[in-house]
Amino acid sequence: MTANGSVGSSPNRVGGRDRVTGAQQYVADIHLVDELQAKLVKIDEGRARIISIDTTKAEQVPGVQLILTPKDLPHPMPRFGPQYEDRPILADGEVKYHGEPIAAVAADTKEAAEEAVALVEVEYEVLPGVFSIDAALDPDADLVQHPSLRPNEPFAHSNIKTEFNFGWGDIGAIEGEADYVIERKYEFPMVTHFAIEPHAFMVAPEGDELKVWSTIQHPFQLQKTLAKLLDLPLSKLRIFAPDPGGGFGGKQHPKLEPLVAYMAMKTGRPVRLIMSLEETFQAVRRSSTRVRVRLGLTNDGDMVFNDTETDYLIGAYVDIADRVASKASYVAAGPYRVPVVKIAGRTILSNTTPTTAFRGFGVPQITWARECTLDEAALGLGIDRLEIRRRNLPEKGVEFIPGDTPADGDWRQTVDKAAELIGWDAPLSEGRGRGIALGLKSGPTTGLSYSTVRLLADGSALVFCGTSDMGQGARTVLSQIVAQEMGIPIERISVIMGDTAIVPYDQQTSASRSTVLMGTSVYRACKDIHGKVRAMASRIHGMDEADIDVDGGTVRFTGEELPIVEVVQEGLGSLGGEVIGNGEMRKDKEPDHPLAGSAAFFEFNCTAIEAEVDDETGEIQIIKHVTVGDVGTALNPQQVHGQDEGAAIMGLGHTLMEVMIHDEMGRIRNMGAIDYRIPTSKDLPAELVSDSIENSDGPGPYGAKGVSEGSLLCTAPAVGAAVREATGLTIRDLPLTPQRVWEAMREQT
Amino acid sequence: MKEFSYERPESLDDALRLLAASGSEVEVLAGGTDLVIAMRDGQSQPKVVVDLKRITEFYPSLMWAGDTVTLSATATMAETVDDEGINKHFPALAEAAVVVGSVQIRNRATLLGNICNGSPAADTAPPLLAYDAIIVVAGPDGTRRVEIDEFIVGPGRTALQDGEIAVALELRLPSRPLGSAYERMTRRKGTDLASVTLCATVDDAGITRVAFGSVGPRAWLRTDESGVLADPDASDEAKAAVFEEIFADATPSVRSLRASPDYRRAMLRVLGARAVRRALRRLQELQGVS
Amino acid sequence: MSEVIHIEANINGRDRAFEVAANHTLLDVLRDQLGLTGTKECCVVGECGACTVVVDGMPMNSCLMLAVEIDGRDVISVEGLATDGRLSTLQQAFLDVSAPQCGFCIPGQLMSAHAFLQRNLDPSIEDVHEALGGNLCRCAGYLQITEAVMLAAKAGRE
Repeated sequence: MTANGSVGSSPNRVGGRDRVTGAQQYVADIHLVDELQAKLVKIDEGRARIISIDTTKAEQVPGVQLILTPKDLPHPMPRFGPQYEDRPILADGEVKYHGEPIAAVAADTKEAAEEAVALVEVEYEVLPGVFSIDAALDPDADLVQHPSLRPNEPFAHSNIKTEFNFGWGDIGAIEGEADYVIERKYEFPMVTHFAIEPHAFMVAPEGDELKVWSTIQHPFQLQKTLAKLLDLPLSKLRIFAPDPGGGFGGKQHPKLEPLVAYMAMKTGRPVRLIMSLEETFQAVRRSSTRVRVRLGLTNDGDMVFNDTETDYLIGAYVDIADRVASKASYVAAGPYRVPVVKIAGRTILSNTTPTTAFRGFGVPQITWARECTLDEAALGLGIDRLEIRRRNLPEKGVEFIPGDTPADGDWRQTVDKAAELIGWDAPLSEGRGRGIALGLKSGPTTGLSYSTVRLLADGSALVFCGTSDMGQGARTVLSQIVAQEMGIPIERISVIMGDTAIVPYDQQTSASRSTVLMGTSVYRACKDIHGKVRAMASRIHGMDEADIDVDGGTVRFTGEELPIVEVVQEGLGSLGGEVIGNGEMRKDKEPDHPLAGSAAFFEFNCTAIEAEVDDETGEIQIIKHVTVGDVGTALNPQQVHGQDEGAAIMGLGHTLMEVMIHDEMGRIRNMGAIDYRIPTSKDLPAELVSDSIENSDGPGPYGAKGVSEGSLLCTAPAVGAAVREATGLTIRDLPLTPQRVWEAMREQT
Repeated sequence: MKEFSYERPESLDDALRLLAASGSEVEVLAGGTDLVIAMRDGQSQPKVVVDLKRITEFYPSLMWAGDTVTLSATATMAETVDDEGINKHFPALAEAAVVVGSVQIRNRATLLGNICNGSPAADTAPPLLAYDAIIVVAGPDGTRRVEIDEFIVGPGRTALQDGEIAVALELRLPSRPLGSAYERMTRRKGTDLASVTLCATVDDAGITRVAFGSVGPRAWLRTDESGVLADPDASDEAKAAVFEEIFADATPSVRSLRASPDYRRAMLRVLGARAVRRALRRLQELQGVS
Repeated sequence: MSEVIHIEANINGRDRAFEVAANHTLLDVLRDQLGLTGTKECCVVGECGACTVVVDGMPMNSCLMLAVEIDGRDVISVEGLATDGRLSTLQQAFLDVSAPQCGFCIPGQLMSAHAFLQRNLDPSIEDVHEALGGNLCRCAGYLQITEAVMLAAKAGRE
């Protein structure tokens, strides 16, 4: 029996109706009685020492209730962060990056808050800042973080935050076996998330509790952070996390919630801070990188060694950037069998926006370098670019990264499918070129997801879980699992998320984990119900539990088949009630693993591009864009395509047009929507094909793997390769704007 | 946004009186697509905003009479783009107006506002220069008619004086067959501010006019009377020399985020050649018809 | 001393009379005063389209209009598309093809599409891309959004 909306179908998105009627409530749509409007006080400098903050005039503005400055905060300045507690509530004596908040105003109206912000007088001294890798590494450079903030760290007296070393084998010993060695450097610029919903926060003190609303992806992490900062029990911090209007990693970790919490506690009133789009540029970005790849190959194109150095330029505070850099560097050699690998990664502090998770988690930057260098090697060796990739792919089950999860898919199928869809061997028109690239990213390395499913007496169900549905469609997929396992139509299922007082703990929503980790948890909650239903059936029918089978919404015994709901209704009797199932999915730390955990699965993608280049203007037209992912099982094919195409187009953004531009003083010059360009409907490839390989070989329910990042990993190198074939140009920096391509053409002639 | 008082006159006289009474602390509002942003940013902090959209004299916004089309201060980009006559006789204007912002912007932004705003990158400035548009200006002392080349002064500056309103824009049908085309360079195919804007016209006497913007403080109009650009048989070198002269005054900003000066200069030549080619083709089509 | 102006407008089919501050945009008034929070705020410079509403049949950025400018006009926001709880053909099409991902841009996309389909029920893909070119979607669900508009156009022709 298959209930409507079961696994493998594409029912209407759960929450979709509210999204097309305007009823969906995002944080900024929620108002609290007696709320105050908050605005941030900032200066237009990349780095400066704060001499004084005078709020006298600002306080005179009618309606102003509070101007919070560092002197109103505990001493020393409270700090927080997901990896290091280095981010202060407000700038601590020094503005360390453009837009770092110095003070904040809470007023009865937005206008009053704005007016007061303009009247706060900040006296400051502009300091020289470091805004690039080279500037940060200059031995004479000022330190971004004071050494006292990072005692016991080996690089505390430099701007290097952390070094990571991974790999296997001895390069020196094998170097001689390579017939061909190539070394290249590739750069990847600063880009930002640009979720259409800017970050928004509200905090309301209520009795001995704080209620917090945030656009955050990880409500339980926010709860922990605030509990520690404010010395409150978790039970007294209730986090509401309405479905975010796009996250992409930029909403994973706490940002300004602690500041707003202090403001709410000081005033005793709800305080609301809605960021502008411009301010989000000063809140989140992707780490820019310089990656040096040295590859050794045989004349046949077999990889001998990969020696990679990755430099990630992070911001003034670490946020999750160290994890991004180490996790991505760890898979720098990509989805290939490489006998010897040496990876040296660094994070480098700078006076720029703190960098954080961003779809692909550091991997797109490295993939750009590795895949382009591999193409250059293929050209040098005279080997077909598809062939050089195919011959180095590990077979399924091969432990291509020693000590980690073996290759968990038949990746050659993916590559062949993409090659077929792009017509790799077909003749090319004049002015056109093709490129192909592979991307590989580790899924989650740890995880903990609890869930509760309540099967109600009328055959409807409630699902409680801490996942955030920010567009990936978790509500739908989790409902589908319940529909499948309870045999009830999806319309009778509600998913409750985003309230830490109601839903059980979930570690986080990141790394394409929801279907696999929370999906497994919900599946197990359903199995828990199955067990209870089996006991009911046994009691009602006087049979041994061992002779009763419960599966996929059906109870079977001695020739009889009954829907679960029927058994439950009989079992519950006249008092009614419900059957409650709990699920848990835990992926513990592995202390001996370099990342403290092996990959739950790999996200593997092959992207192939055909592009045309205008030889007068340098404009690139994407003629055809093919992305194929190894998804295990598509629990909801429509949503798989939505994620895959969305990631592909986002990838075209950083490939073709996106870049944050700073001036020499570290000020971001293109904040907002006018001069930071993201793809519109008019920038789509002439043809975009998203396909997937399904072998039901993932660790998630029904063999699913995570899918939301793959097609973004290798967009840039595939486009770069197509441009090279069309023009003969090798461009080693992004984005491939018309001007950059034109400049390269001009240098070539 | 700072506080201001809002006025909505129903006659031009009333509007002019309001302007006269408010001195320099007044802004006129037509489409508002630039003004509202400026007021929100605090770049503009008027005491009074005078909304022109209820002034009866401004309707109909677009009117043909004889050989002249008059677009009033309330004529939007969308109305300009949708007009058959504009598309037929002033195709480069239609091509420029249709790339100003998005549909939402074009439903609000006015053609005159695009010129009065004084942006060097205004898409419609090059075609209006090339078509010799006349701006009708009303003020306390009556009405004057200003050639657009005189009207455009520099970044954010026009020939408008305090107390004056640009009430209409007039275009006269070309006196002889004229082919024309508009080209622009942007960072993406979707809505974007142009790093080069350019309009070329070619008439049946072989005179080519090239108007271009976004590469200096204002859009310029230049003429090639030698006939070289319009000559299909002229060499690329000869044409390049003419373009060299035409674009001599281009001074693209080194501070711009949108493109480098070198790139802009190079694209002037590329777009110039493209626009002239398309204008010639249109001229030939016209001549084929007549 | 914010100047307050009395205006009358038809909002989502209902004649309403209310006061607005001269310096409030239509977006401010819809969201904060009338409680119509379906219209979203993002870039506030007319680039993203999240705040798109339909005024007298034409899609416009409500962030770039003063609220007082709607005096005497008809305004439709996303809340005005469904009638008596029944989704419009366009809304249903968006739902059917899973066009909304995070959903934040969707009200704006719907309003642009709604106005567009009033004028053109037989569009090409390029026409749809142009009509919705002023509505950014960072989830980049553009293919599904376009598909939904094409579906609704087809339903409208039949």
